[in-house]
Amino acid sequence: MVARVAQEWFAICGGCEVTILDIGEPLIELLEKINIVHMPVLMDHKLYGQTGEGTAMEIPEAEVGIITGGVRNEEHRHLAKEMRKKCKVLIAMGTCACSGGIPALGNLSLKDEILKKVYEESVTTDKGVAPSVDIPPLTDRVYAISEVVPVDVSLPGCPSTPEMVTEALTALLTGTAFALPTKSVCDDCPTIREKKAVSGLKRNLQAPEFTVGRPLKEMRCLMEQGILCLGPATRTGCGGSEGTPRCIRAYQPCEGCFGPISEKANPMVDMMGALSTVGLDPKNVADRAATFNRFSGAGRLRPLPKR
Amino acid sequence: MEHDGYDPLILAFCCNWCSYAGADLAGVSRQQYPTNVRIIRVMCSGMVHPNLVINALTKGADGVIMCGCHPGDCHYIDGNLKAQKRADAIFLMLEDFGLERERFRLEWVSASEGIKFAEVMRQFTEEVQKLGPSPYKA
Repeated sequence: MVARVAQEWFAICGGCEVTILDIGEPLIELLEKINIVHMPVLMDHKLYGQTGEGTAMEIPEAEVGIITGGVRNEEHRHLAKEMRKKCKVLIAMGTCACSGGIPALGNLSLKDEILKKVYEESVTTDKGVAPSVDIPPLTDRVYAISEVVPVDVSLPGCPSTPEMVTEALTALLTGTAFALPTKSVCDDCPTIREKKAVSGLKRNLQAPEFTVGRPLKEMRCLMEQGILCLGPATRTGCGGSEGTPRCIRAYQPCEGCFGPISEKANPMVDMMGALSTVGLDPKNVADRAATFNRFSGAGRLRPLPKR
Repeated sequence: MEHDGYDPLILAFCCNWCSYAGADLAGVSRQQYPTNVRIIRVMCSGMVHPNLVINALTKGADGVIMCGCHPGDCHYIDGNLKAQKRADAIFLMLEDFGLERERFRLEWVSASEGIKFAEVMRQFTEEVQKLGPSPYKA
């Protein structure tokens, strides 16, 4: 049987769709088992019918639904519900769909503040009016898909790894189990940890100390070198079968793109703990709320109350 | 202590050796203090993880007070000093979570200070009453 796949994108950059393409050779095998019935990035399948004869936005029936991006406006919300109704299994793909991602940093400001800043107050823009006709209104904040409709499979990552997407799709098609790792990036990181920082917090993008060409297990933990790494509060899995996390492989600190270790985890508290454990002062981290929740703002970030 | 339809919910983490005994003393000596306070007994104030405080404040409590032995009197020698260090971190977290600093307090209450315990709870409840409900209460 060929499984029908419907895909829809919301508040997102489009990188997750590129990941599907990035699957490479296994994609050829995978494509024989699936039939894409709706995918705005690939095909011209219109929501109101091909000639606009429909009265409501509709998505064709499918076995597997893939949503990328978080819910930022009412159209997204409507389509998320429609996808849930028409698809037997719903996959939230990419961190934006799983926990808000970068767009959810906007949750630190009120909706009206954002509109005002963008359309009226920005110094590089001529003062105008926020558009309101013929466009869907913004929701009050950015929502993860799971906050709007129940999601069966979450594939975090910015973007998810091609390996993980293949694994999840194959598991769904063959009816086997698929589960995300429940450990932190540090558990998969090969660097040397001595629980003591050798330097104070450095500026972002300052280069770590390592010997080019030597294996990673001879490098000191980046956090202990004073480079802010979100590894302790981030779910692992980005390394795939190779194990070593993607950013660490490039001698860069973890950016936190796989989101928090569990749904209930609180990255801000976890990171404060991790920083103090090695003797770094969290006070020196600029914009802590946004930094520690860089990819997990949906439901976690909120505007500070006015006093 | 209801006022304008708002009745604050306050969690008090009390250490087993001093503050919980202090609360007990306040009870047996019939000291009156607001019923908004819910006491949770912990073995030491130093074991109250910041996570517990932040979770409480973001999931329904309006104020959290942590009570331990006076410095130097800790049953575990330096547990209350650890609590103090944790309190510094908690204040930082409150700021990041957009919560008022006044919603959290660390107090030293010994086993013989039943009157002080009741007084502290009265003051804290009044203060939280003035602040209004936690912004996380939907």
